Amino acid sequence: MLKTLKEIIRTGDATVKYPFAPIERPKDARGKPEHDLANCMACGACAVACPPNAIQMVIDSRAQSTSWSINYGRCVYCGRCEEVCPTKAIRLSTEFELAVMDKNDLEEICMYSLQSCTECGSPFAPAKEVDYAYRILTQFVDDPDARQAAELVKVCPRCKQKRDSQRAKQNFESLGGVS
Amino acid sequence: MSINKSDGLRIGESHVREAESRFPGVIREVRWICDDQIVLDVVPEKAPDVIEYLYYDRGGWLSVVVGNDERPINDAYAVYYVLSMEEADPCYCIVRVEVPKDPGEFYSVSPKVPAVVWGEREVQDLFGLRALGIIDNRNLVLPDDWPQGLYPLRKDTMDYRYRPEPTTDVENYEFLKDTGDRETTVIPMGPLHITSDEPGHFRLFVEGEQIIDADYRMFYVHRGMEKCAESRMNYDTVPFLAERICGICGFAHSVAYAESVEHAQGIEIPLRAQFIRSIILETERLHSHLLNLGLVCHFTGFDTGFHHMFRVREQSMDLAEMLTGARKTYGLNLIGGVRRDILAEQKVSTLKYLDRMRSEVANLVDELLSTPNFIDRTEGVGILDRKVARDYSPVGPTVRGSGFERDARWCHPFDGYKSLDRKAITAGSCDVKGRTLVRIGEFMDSLDIISELLENAPSGPVLNENWTYEPHRFAVGWTEAPRGEDVHWSMIGNNQKCYRWRAKASTYSNWPVLRYMFRGNTISDAAMIVGSLDPCYSCTERVTIVDVKKRKQQILTKQQLENYCVDRRHTPLEY
Ligand code: SF4
Ligand code: SF4
Repeated sequence: MLKTLKEIIRTGDATVKYPFAPIERPKDARGKPEHDLANCMACGACAVACPPNAIQMVIDSRAQSTSWSINYGRCVYCGRCEEVCPTKAIRLSTEFELAVMDKNDLEEICMYSLQSCTECGSPFAPAKEVDYAYRILTQFVDDPDARQAAELVKVCPRCKQKRDSQRAKQNFESLGGVS
Repeated sequence: MSINKSDGLRIGESHVREAESRFPGVIREVRWICDDQIVLDVVPEKAPDVIEYLYYDRGGWLSVVVGNDERPINDAYAVYYVLSMEEADPCYCIVRVEVPKDPGEFYSVSPKVPAVVWGEREVQDLFGLRALGIIDNRNLVLPDDWPQGLYPLRKDTMDYRYRPEPTTDVENYEFLKDTGDRETTVIPMGPLHITSDEPGHFRLFVEGEQIIDADYRMFYVHRGMEKCAESRMNYDTVPFLAERICGICGFAHSVAYAESVEHAQGIEIPLRAQFIRSIILETERLHSHLLNLGLVCHFTGFDTGFHHMFRVREQSMDLAEMLTGARKTYGLNLIGGVRRDILAEQKVSTLKYLDRMRSEVANLVDELLSTPNFIDRTEGVGILDRKVARDYSPVGPTVRGSGFERDARWCHPFDGYKSLDRKAITAGSCDVKGRTLVRIGEFMDSLDIISELLENAPSGPVLNENWTYEPHRFAVGWTEAPRGEDVHWSMIGNNQKCYRWRAKASTYSNWPVLRYMFRGNTISDAAMIVGSLDPCYSCTERVTIVDVKKRKQQILTKQQLENYCVDRRHTPLEY
């Protein structure tokens, strides 16, 4: 009994004023992922890595756009998105007070336009991602493969395949083959 | 391949040889799926004998029973009995019994080894296979109003989101009672109560105040996680789901899953990552044991102690948040290692946290043990008989409180524990007090383990990303969670999918013995006994008391029962 009393007196107040006073979280605490619309190139790496599918991308080829959305109600704050993002466009903050009055407010959506194929005209990948690839490829000025890839960067995979097969056919014929 | 130096045999080979010479021609195939895990493919009729032999004569304990729908792979079902061999030549022996898809029957092991009964009931429910001669044929996992012939884990039955309509409104679950010719009252507790977090239904058969027998019904909140993982997740995202099996010992599950894949695929985890996993596992034990110690205080009427335990527990939560970025669900594991290193400055502050908790908890424990009520309420209460324990393979402080040295950290050392030389902490008194003392001992031990691991952790990378996988290999992974051994069995499929995942939480092994622990105690001890299992608090919501003599039934709230447990006056049975 005496021990208990002593312990009570020694402890004093154990509670903190939160939520009436701010509470400190460790600097590496995992909280709300913050998405940077401008830096993001809609590559979709985060959407693939996200375990609970909080991040989703939906392509609308008619509108030639793709949406990138995050639902904070599904997010488990694991930080996989941050880990895989090539452009550091998504970072976890320490923010944790995410309650909202309307469930819809938990979702954030942004749209990115798609690149149309310069040959067939059909949209095939986010324009920013194509541009990103182009900028990387053009850094390798001395590499003929990179140069060729840069030239074809705006051609969709199907048209590329078509080109390849046509070239193969030409090669075959020039070698005297019969088709 | 690891060879045992003394006899030149592979790990676990002694068990195989003995079993082969005792049952010639019964073991069709033996293969090592990793260093210390052996699969024995056994002739179905003889499986019960082989398992009985390995269990009782070779020091085996049951870890988990796994059903698997292997029709797409080899046109049959299979049931795997995972035995943890803990005496000589420790290893995991996985007895595989192939079950032909038609008629889908296998010989139940339960008449010989009662520990498998929950596992076999689950296989019956989820795969629609029949265990011939099973000692308890009731549903375990599926609700009693589930449609006939719908077996959720068969690969071709249902979408994981499908929720069939109940087929009946009548309660048709039969509760077992072994009360002889004594007339008893029935006290049901549960399944739902507005104040409680998890549902479960208990039925106590009492004579006056004395509990004669008890039975229970669980799985009201079966979440279908295994089905969900198998249907829509990639094998490398499952650690994050596994972590959500339990709100207290989630990290233990996530490690167990990750290691099941790593063992199956032969993936080396960097040494530093192994140490970090152990450090975080122990951190989890700190807060879990403090939670249970707090509840013990509460149940023995020492609520001041309860609050102080929870106050100190907050430090372990802060510690976890500092190390992992979150109070719970640490999100640390990937297949191949961990995602965060422990930095030098974090090490320093961890050691500070440990010192503070060590002295504070020592004081609180001293207070608790000198509270006369504590001894009075826990000594000789909820006895877990050693024979019952041996038959049912309970785990954690529950079995260690009955003197068995069962602790996966030391029986099958893994991760950072390999570098430590320690023994399981046990108590011989088999009662609530024993189990509480084990937890106190383990708490203090964990503090030392963390500092030792922090001191000895080698430097280096924490994640190995350099590996490929081969579909349809399987293995088990295990950890010693605060409540006992968590065992996960997993098999990866094609296209990065998880083909089958079976997660066994520690409390799953502890429920079956509860019935025996209740017997002979009074109703006022019921909550105390359940609490001594530390069952993630899923069960003490409501109690129905049935007085067989008076043919009356009464439902008690959790509050009534708890109040009675705390003050032991005003029995709620006065009606
Ligand atoms: S933190 Fe995890 S759950 Fe949340 S959006 Fe990123 S990957 Fe998805
Ligand atoms: S990974 Fe980064 S760049 Fe790619 S879609 Fe996600 S946020 Fe945008």
